[in-house]
Amino acid sequence: MTWFEPEGASWTYVDRRLIPARLLSFGIPLLLLLVATAVPAVMFGGLVWLAPAAVAIILLWTSWIVVRQVGAHAWAEREDDLLVKRGRMFKRVTVVPYGRMQFVEVEAGPLARAFGIARVQLHTAAPGTDASIAGVPTDEAARLRDRLTARGEATLAGL
Amino acid sequence: MTPTVYQAPREWTRLHPVSPFLGAWSVFGAIGAYWFFNNAPEWAGGAGEAAEGTWHPAIITLAIIGLVIALFVVAGGYLAWRMTTFRITDDSVELRKGILFRQNKQARLDRLQAVDVVQPLLARIFRFASVRIEVAGGEGSTVALEYLRLGDAEALRNEIMVLAAGLKTGRPAAAEGEAPSAGSAQEPSLRDVLRPDEQAVPAIAAAEERDVLSVPLGRLVASIALSGPFLWLVGLPLAGLVVILAVSSEVETALLGIIGGSIAGFLPLVFAIVGYVWTRLTGGFGFVAGISADGVRLRHGMLETRRQTVPPGRVQAVKLRQPLLWRGRDWWRITINVAGYQAGETAVSTLLPVGTRADALAALWLVLPDLGDPDPEGTISRAMSGRGADGGFVASPRSARWFDPMQWKNRGVRATETALLIREGALVRELSIVPHERTQSLGLSQGPLERAAGVASVIIHSTPGPVMPAAHHLAVEDAFRLIEEQAIRAREGRRKQTPEQWLAAVAPAIDDVLASDDITAAPESDVAPTLLPADAPRAPLPADAPGAPVPTDGSTATADRVEQAPHSPTPPERRDV
Repeated sequence: MTWFEPEGASWTYVDRRLIPARLLSFGIPLLLLLVATAVPAVMFGGLVWLAPAAVAIILLWTSWIVVRQVGAHAWAEREDDLLVKRGRMFKRVTVVPYGRMQFVEVEAGPLARAFGIARVQLHTAAPGTDASIAGVPTDEAARLRDRLTARGEATLAGL
Repeated sequence: MTPTVYQAPREWTRLHPVSPFLGAWSVFGAIGAYWFFNNAPEWAGGAGEAAEGTWHPAIITLAIIGLVIALFVVAGGYLAWRMTTFRITDDSVELRKGILFRQNKQARLDRLQAVDVVQPLLARIFRFASVRIEVAGGEGSTVALEYLRLGDAEALRNEIMVLAAGLKTGRPAAAEGEAPSAGSAQEPSLRDVLRPDEQAVPAIAAAEERDVLSVPLGRLVASIALSGPFLWLVGLPLAGLVVILAVSSEVETALLGIIGGSIAGFLPLVFAIVGYVWTRLTGGFGFVAGISADGVRLRHGMLETRRQTVPPGRVQAVKLRQPLLWRGRDWWRITINVAGYQAGETAVSTLLPVGTRADALAALWLVLPDLGDPDPEGTISRAMSGRGADGGFVASPRSARWFDPMQWKNRGVRATETALLIREGALVRELSIVPHERTQSLGLSQGPLERAAGVASVIIHSTPGPVMPAAHHLAVEDAFRLIEEQAIRAREGRRKQTPEQWLAAVAPAIDDVLASDDITAAPESDVAPTLLPADAPRAPLPADAPGAPVPTDGSTATADRVEQAPHSPTPPERRDV
């Protein structure tokens, strides 16, 4: 069975630059850990090598997951609502009607700014609404925010 | 005695000067308890006059420190009171407060979600109350006016409801014609505390109210006794006793061991359970739900009483719940999500602490008068205790048994024209109802195991509260269809939803009805319901006197009244008039 393909949704996938950005934030601590475990391994040899090996496997595995996740993260603007999908193993889709948006938030940390991407998050009155789009190119993020805000104002409904 | 007419202030006004004392009662309580301990005679549990320690220098130092703290509390309270002012305008309630950091809060009446009049014990004794105005805006958005004279609080509440409903003209003054000599309320003063019971009449009368259901104390106590936590509280020591008696012959030691062991070992648990039982008992005590033109009215509380008003269409989601042990009596508990009420306040978010099926249907009708179904009563009834595809539900497929070995047969979803019903729970039955236009957003999720079983879950995101509606483990194609259709239904629902000023559209009609009926009469009087346009078929509301004792096994007493009342084939339509 294929995954949810809603009508009238043309998916825009997030920027691939999200991969290096996420890899760096995940990878640097793991790399440090790798070095920290590799030094005693070089000094003592033998079974001590298991530790850096484990770290290396975790590093590779997370990297693979990051690449896969970014490839599955996309959004689609429909006439009345915004769709956000994410995840390959644990798939999630969120449907946010424009009329239900309370505000749109654009956020970019130093790492994300260095790669020229930003995170766009939609807030409704429900805390469960899980609609954030990571890795939108900065200028596109600003345009997206303006578009969403305009559509939200046009269709805004009371709670 | 001539009634005093209270009016909500249009100018910046201070809260009642007694507020700091009511607010800081715990400090005074502690000091009082200390004084009592030092001065009360021995037989009363005090240290007694003879006790050497009373005038020990250390004690005196402590007393002085206590006094200084008390002075600071009083001075701080006085300053805070001086700096706190509020007023009501045509479209908002404003509150200014803060000594160093000034804060200006504004509750917009078109965003109003609920107005509560709360009376903690001390305030209740002296006839004071706080008014809590809930607007949609997350934590800290509540405008709480603590404290006002009861008459002031009621006048404010009534005026807020009138303004928020869009009835700019206001309701007729309560005392008009009746008591021409009525003096208007004097400036609040500390002497109010000592004033004898007076006849308080708000300038704007409260909307006429009819009590629809009440919870008898016997049933409330029985329902708590039949709840899981209470059985744990009683059962844990008993179970331990049985085990120890089985292995040990020394009964006395065993008994002591049990009591000591269970108290010491489970103390935090016991505290939690006692707290739960206490909350349930005080929260549900004297519970009465009624309906008025202002919306649903709930009154409850033992030591602290709370009178809630939730305007029509402000209920975001409803959950009916039946723990296993309530099944024999077919009792149900209903909780609601109202934006503005914080998620932790269970007593506030309760629509019905415990009630029969008929009560539950009546309570549901209070908040969702139009279920968009030709046979709402039957549909809900089947939804409460049905299984599989009963009652037109889309049930979970057989493969969902890997996730829910017991309750997969009970899971099901069904949409009526106006609301989505989600049924779940094998032992603890639950039914969540979300009006389509209240859907915030929708989520669809599937993990690897769910994928293997060909199921997926749909989550309806609602505002914070006890109801978190989710349809878990539906067949994949059903889940896809549900999320698509629900998005469309929510859109349609929003398009024709209640206007923010919910009475603005029907105000003239209501005014006529109100003018023709003697609304100042006692609420129990047999006045026809004022909610309905004159030509609408009037579903007679159950006209119980407030707090009228209903037999604990009230199924027969209440069953017939529901047949005639809620969910009539043409339910009172207040939305799109």
